[in-house]
Amino acid sequence: MSRSRWSPLIQAVLLVNAVLVLAPMVIMGLSAFKTTQEIFQNPIGLPASWRLDNFSRVWVQAHFAQYFRNSVVVTVASIIIIVAFGAMAGYALGRFRFKGNDLLYLYFLSGLMLPIRLGIIPLFILMRDLGLLNTHWALILIYAASGLPSAVFILTGFFRTLPSDLDSAARIDGAGEWLIFRRIMLPLVRPAVVIVAIYNFIPVWNDFFFPLVFIQSDRLKTVPLGMTAFFGQYYTDWATLFAGLTLAALPVIALYVLLSQHFIRGLTAGAVKG
Amino acid sequence: MRARRRLWLLVFLGPATLLFAVFITYPILSSLAFSLYGWEGIARRGFVGLHNFARLFSTFPYSELLVNAFWHNVIVFAVTMLVQNVIALGLAVLLARSVWGTQFYRVVFFLPVTLSLVIVGFLWALFLNPVFGIVNKLLTSAGLAVLARPWLGDSQTALLTLTLINAWRWLGFPTIVFLAGINAVPDDYLEAARLDGAGEWEVFRRIIFPLLAPAITIIVLLTFIGSFNWFELPYVVQGVSGGPNRSTDVLSLMFYRMAFGEVDTGLQDIGIGSAIAVLMFILMVTVSAVGAVFLRRREVELA
Amino acid sequence: MIRRVLVGLVTVLLVTSFYPQTASSQGPVQLTFWSWRVEDKEAYDRIIRVFEQRNPGIKVEFVPFRATEYNTILSTALTAGKGPDIIHLRAYGGLETFTAPGYIAPLSFESVPELRTFSRQILEGAKGKKDGKLYGVPFASQTLVIFYNKKIFAQHNLKPPKSWDEFMTVLKTLKDKGVLPLANGGKEGWTLEVMSGVIAPNFYGGTSFFDAVTRGQTSFKDPVYTSALRRMLELRPYMHQNFMGVDYATMQQLFISEQAAMFVGGAFEIGFFRAQNKNLDFDVFAAPPLKAGQTPWVSSYADGNYGIYAKTPHMDAALKFIRFTATREFGQMFADMLAQASAVPGVQFKDPVLKHVMELARKSTPYVMLVGFRWQAPTGSTLLQSGLQAMMAGEKTPEQVGEEVTRGLSAWFESFRGR
Repeated sequence: MSRSRWSPLIQAVLLVNAVLVLAPMVIMGLSAFKTTQEIFQNPIGLPASWRLDNFSRVWVQAHFAQYFRNSVVVTVASIIIIVAFGAMAGYALGRFRFKGNDLLYLYFLSGLMLPIRLGIIPLFILMRDLGLLNTHWALILIYAASGLPSAVFILTGFFRTLPSDLDSAARIDGAGEWLIFRRIMLPLVRPAVVIVAIYNFIPVWNDFFFPLVFIQSDRLKTVPLGMTAFFGQYYTDWATLFAGLTLAALPVIALYVLLSQHFIRGLTAGAVKG
Repeated sequence: MRARRRLWLLVFLGPATLLFAVFITYPILSSLAFSLYGWEGIARRGFVGLHNFARLFSTFPYSELLVNAFWHNVIVFAVTMLVQNVIALGLAVLLARSVWGTQFYRVVFFLPVTLSLVIVGFLWALFLNPVFGIVNKLLTSAGLAVLARPWLGDSQTALLTLTLINAWRWLGFPTIVFLAGINAVPDDYLEAARLDGAGEWEVFRRIIFPLLAPAITIIVLLTFIGSFNWFELPYVVQGVSGGPNRSTDVLSLMFYRMAFGEVDTGLQDIGIGSAIAVLMFILMVTVSAVGAVFLRRREVELA
Repeated sequence: MIRRVLVGLVTVLLVTSFYPQTASSQGPVQLTFWSWRVEDKEAYDRIIRVFEQRNPGIKVEFVPFRATEYNTILSTALTAGKGPDIIHLRAYGGLETFTAPGYIAPLSFESVPELRTFSRQILEGAKGKKDGKLYGVPFASQTLVIFYNKKIFAQHNLKPPKSWDEFMTVLKTLKDKGVLPLANGGKEGWTLEVMSGVIAPNFYGGTSFFDAVTRGQTSFKDPVYTSALRRMLELRPYMHQNFMGVDYATMQQLFISEQAAMFVGGAFEIGFFRAQNKNLDFDVFAAPPLKAGQTPWVSSYADGNYGIYAKTPHMDAALKFIRFTATREFGQMFADMLAQASAVPGVQFKDPVLKHVMELARKSTPYVMLVGFRWQAPTGSTLLQSGLQAMMAGEKTPEQVGEEVTRGLSAWFESFRGR
């Protein structure tokens, strides 16, 4: 079998790529334990001593705990809305025939193409008029709205694949629409829900542009925004900076590693269905 | 019955449509409308029709900057397709062979995709620092000192370097998508082909690649959209001016610059910024639509 | 599933409602003060505490943003009608962009009598171009010089050069001895603009050229100016081999860690250098003229102002704070804590290097683009910065740079049209 002949070579290639992928992140993590001078003079090596004071500076002085809490609130709320509204819309678009179905679907899809950044000034004015400036809701609503296109795209696809007699059977039994949706349809698209959740989690958690414009109070800032304050305040205090970056990256990485199986399985299924 | 059904449709579709319309569609349309007005700094003045577009296309340096930025977006798209996506395809093929460690590799390869672009940009800017960065140090110690250039400071190499950094960060995503596509190819097709004596390359070319059409469609479209919307990485690494000497300037950066001014040197020109936004919008919509139709047709043909 | 969703939403609502939107209460007046000086937060907080003790009933919150995003945030806030009460503003063109639409409250010698004592030149940076009214209290003047490491100079028996040839000798000596002469780099365009502000004035004739060019009597194509730019090219061999990739932070690191002997920059570096390396023994000298014996020109400019938002609901309290920033007491604290050249007259500069800078600044000339050509887009700075990057990379000649700058500016600077 040709497989065993090529195996070592394949291993080598994959290993090299794995190293290229991991090395920068490992270096970032190691640097978090060094002093600034050490980082400049000895970038790759192990730290002279595993100092934790960079981390404590980030956690305490830089209010990292606070930023972390804010990031969690904003991200979780956004994801919940994306999944809830996206599933409802996907269900209707995928299983009901009505005039304008295709048009509405394309309408949502169009959102994938547009950088919402283009609308920043009108958005700001809108938030002001709604009284939502300097609140988390400004962020949550924008993130939720911008996550809908991909959610609708993925969920509609999944809903379409479910057998068509499923709901008609339930309806004949006298079940209400909402019950059908909640009890029968939704559980069947769970992998899609997971994909949508993870797919949106990363950009929402990592975003720094919108918090930048809409959040002014320090106690409301999210992690990426709090980190950018470092860029000025600690000027070139690379040591504290790396500690902060490492702490900022950790939650998403941890979550990803825990859920990677689900995610990959889900993404696999979704991609195939196109 | 009809009315009830219609009511339910409203319930299911309403929230999402409303949210999307209010917070995405409305601001973007407003922003586009801004291009038809005159601006004094950040205050809106009267209606000026297409005057901003005329200025954009005919005044120095805007016209040159626009073409320059657009061309850069094209380069980014081309390089990303050729480097990132081809490598991703290769990796996917290798991973599909279920060698030892496939699970591990799958998880690892996707890891950079979870990182914030601020982190990625900053990390690599430090690595590529010509004085302190490890890349040049490694190259020098390996005897390749001639390659130890200011990668991000040389206008000939800066854009390519940034594109490769971008590829590093995104590689895992198309890899996983392609892998999924390959895994979906029914085993009997592959068995049959191999039994007929087809070599690995033949199997790939004749069976796997055509059946990857849906995955390819997704990746090509997303790459296109990503390349033309490219903002965070150049912003973080090279700054809002797209330096050095505009060699990393792209359309989004130019928009941001015109809409908000450079750090403390340039001034805003919201009319021009909005005009750029309109152009970007038209470009993306047309090419995406045409591309989608074309790629879909190919999918159908090959399936 | 839905239950979980509901619980989630309710929790979120509860949590977010924890944060009140605006505290509209009786009690002390709350002023917000926005700035781009993230590095100076501690100092400002201390200074503000002094003001609050004097003025119970007024509280000021200093909120700094990263310089690269400050413009964005301020623009969007002002456009939406929700600006901070006290605003840290730039000077000249950077000020005009906010005063022209009427977002900043005009001041006068009546409302802020302390302004009468300020120098006229500094006040120029606080005026709106269109109406000539005063819009802020200047906070600092900046001067552009060459920093040098005294220890390294002493080791190689070098003294601050008095002529351009001497300067070249100093640079060459250092390079031959294996020391990096100049920390500067070209990755960030503005650092090259600073370099031109340090080197060029002695060659283009300082203020007389500035006056001529701002009056439109000559342009940047003038050989006097382009030959001054050409001098910058002579510095290239003495910067890092890959200097085009050296960014601002790296430049600073090189000088602070004593790997480079000199640093061409602004007086605003003093405080930072000291904070990063207490043992750094450094001083400054002005960029030398062609021949010894002439007093060299140094570029300087008003760095910015403190202004009041036109629509602030707390005008009285804001005015009180603004007047405080114009007092000598404020200026002294500012200079002492931040080692910057406060614009308030009569302030004693205790830092020896800062004192030296102020002595050099007696023959100051306006920093050309920042002072004279930032009124509209494209600004002189934007054009010059990318031009200089191309020039230092060997892609354009000084004449081409001059031509492009002039052509770009002619879009709004009428006197340059047809030149």
